[in-house]
Amino acid sequence: MRQVKYRSIVEKLTRMSMLVSGIALLVACVSFIGFDMVTYRANKVRSISTEAQIIGSNAVSALLFNDPQSAEDTLSALRAAPSVVSAGICTLDGRVFASYSRDHVLITAPALPPEGEAEVHSISGAQIALARSIVFKGKPTGVVWIRSDVQELNRRLKRYVGIAAIVMVASLLAAFFLSSMYRKEITEPIVSLAQVARLVSRDKNYSLRAASAGSTAETSILVDSFNNMLAQIQERDKELLQAHGELEQRVRDRTAELAAANKELEAFSYSVSHDLRAPLRSIDGFSLALIEDYGTKLDQGGKDYLRRVRAASQRMSQLIDDMLNLARVTRRAMQRETVDLSGLAKSIAEDLSEEEPSRHVEFAIADGLSADADSGLLKIAMQNLIGNAWKYTSAHDRARIEFGRVKHNGRPAYFVRDDGAGFDPRYVERLFGAFQRLHAATEFPGTGIGLATVHRIIHRHGGEVWAEGGVESGATFYFTL
Amino acid sequence: MSNERAHRWLLCSPCMSLVIALWLFVGVPYLQSEQPKAREFEVKAAYLYNFARFVEWPDDGNGNRDGNGSLEICVLGADPFGQTLDATVAGQTVGGKNVAVKRISKPQDVGPCRIVYISSPEEWHLKDVLAALDKARVLTVSDIPRFSERGGMIGFVLDGNRVRFDVNLASAQGAGLTLRSELLKVATNVRKHPGDM
Repeated sequence: MRQVKYRSIVEKLTRMSMLVSGIALLVACVSFIGFDMVTYRANKVRSISTEAQIIGSNAVSALLFNDPQSAEDTLSALRAAPSVVSAGICTLDGRVFASYSRDHVLITAPALPPEGEAEVHSISGAQIALARSIVFKGKPTGVVWIRSDVQELNRRLKRYVGIAAIVMVASLLAAFFLSSMYRKEITEPIVSLAQVARLVSRDKNYSLRAASAGSTAETSILVDSFNNMLAQIQERDKELLQAHGELEQRVRDRTAELAAANKELEAFSYSVSHDLRAPLRSIDGFSLALIEDYGTKLDQGGKDYLRRVRAASQRMSQLIDDMLNLARVTRRAMQRETVDLSGLAKSIAEDLSEEEPSRHVEFAIADGLSADADSGLLKIAMQNLIGNAWKYTSAHDRARIEFGRVKHNGRPAYFVRDDGAGFDPRYVERLFGAFQRLHAATEFPGTGIGLATVHRIIHRHGGEVWAEGGVESGATFYFTL
Repeated sequence: MSNERAHRWLLCSPCMSLVIALWLFVGVPYLQSEQPKAREFEVKAAYLYNFARFVEWPDDGNGNRDGNGSLEICVLGADPFGQTLDATVAGQTVGGKNVAVKRISKPQDVGPCRIVYISSPEEWHLKDVLAALDKARVLTVSDIPRFSERGGMIGFVLDGNRVRFDVNLASAQGAGLTLRSELLKVATNVRKHPGDM
């Protein structure tokens, strides 16, 4: 892994420096060779022109005195110029007067200069063809032409390309070696830094440190800053870990304390409630015995007192039952299943109507509502909510109780609504507290445990419960599951 | 390639036979008798003019050797050129001077002539003619056989169909003339010393 990374950055640096020097060299070579080729060609044309001029002036008399042999002698001097492929002299009427061929092949005259022009040349492929008018004492006498190959040009080009290639290879090698010399100074600290950074991020081990960089200022700053950063992180990490440990310990302690306290409290309230029943039963039982056995000896006032004693003891028994219920709700294990809420609401409504058939209460229960919940607990909660609605509408001749479902913050919320006595919204916070009552027991009987039980059940389901309402304008209790 | 094909087509075409026949009947006799002679003198006329361009004459002192400002070529004796020579030099100049043709009957009339063409019939008294022209500083040219050997300067010779010439450089130099080397280069034979044969 380390080798791969190391090689990649070195390779990049090397490639970059080689590329830069290579391109610079290539551009320089190409432009130099191009310039030289153009110059060489121009010089070549000029030298051929000079040769043509010399041949021409030497061939004037041969032309004028119709001596092709002499002209050919003159032309044969071109043997000294090996690049001349062929040459010739034409008379003014375009007839070939004398000719010369280096390789003794068929000769064709190139295009002759048009009238009024001294010279014309054309470059085609590997040949330069030049035709020059022979002027003697101001008068055109004939035309000399020379075809010269540019093999030398090609040889030159080849030589230049060879030299350029050698220079290129040499400079690329130099670039390669120079860049490998820089490897130690630049790439190694970076590579080691990258390596350490990778290890740190992989193992979360902040005790690692990058090796100190060489002489290059930037890399050593980089390495030092990185090491500083690591030290800081390590320090903070240690503190954080410590704080975290302490916090966890504290939470564990508190939770244990709380659990113990809770257990104690539950055991206490359960035993209290349970143990309270026995004396209460004695009070109620002996009060009844007193009325039954000694009723005749008591006057009306005595009997009334005894009735009150009994009523109070019965109320207390109810209180104890409710408290045991509340405790049971808290302790009972949850078993979630699909509960038919509509059916549950209907059966509760039927029970209530049977208990007090004289009341005119209209039930509006939405069909098909079901939820994933503990059926026993939910039954208790629904009994409380619908029972409350039934109870707090008892002062009205006609009442309407509604059960349904609305959307609340994207989740389904179930509600029980009545048009009964309602409550003062200022005290809405107190509704769900145990033993908290907003109405007098004489007005509406109750222990103040019901809504606290509902609250606990809904919370055990992970849901919420809340209420809306106003004095004499009914109440609506919502819950989610 | 296409040229060759065209030639082959011409040779093969039936009309070619007619062309060849016409040429045999009309062209060949013409070429053999009249035409070569006329062409020969056309060439010689051109040469006479061209000689003027390769020869330098000495200044005779008064700077106005050429009478009416033209360079004169003189034909001594019977003129074999007809109008050819006049036509050849018409409108030509040498060294800024117009070239003119003059016909003379005796060497004493040479006057401002630069070149004297001695026609063949004058051969019988060639020695006298040359002697008469000796001091005239003129370029002597002739068709007379072995002219250059006999003291003349440039003698035409026929090499097959080609007109060529011999030069007697010694005679020319003796007359104070300078012949350009280009001229000597194309001469058939150049006699450099009076004794040369």
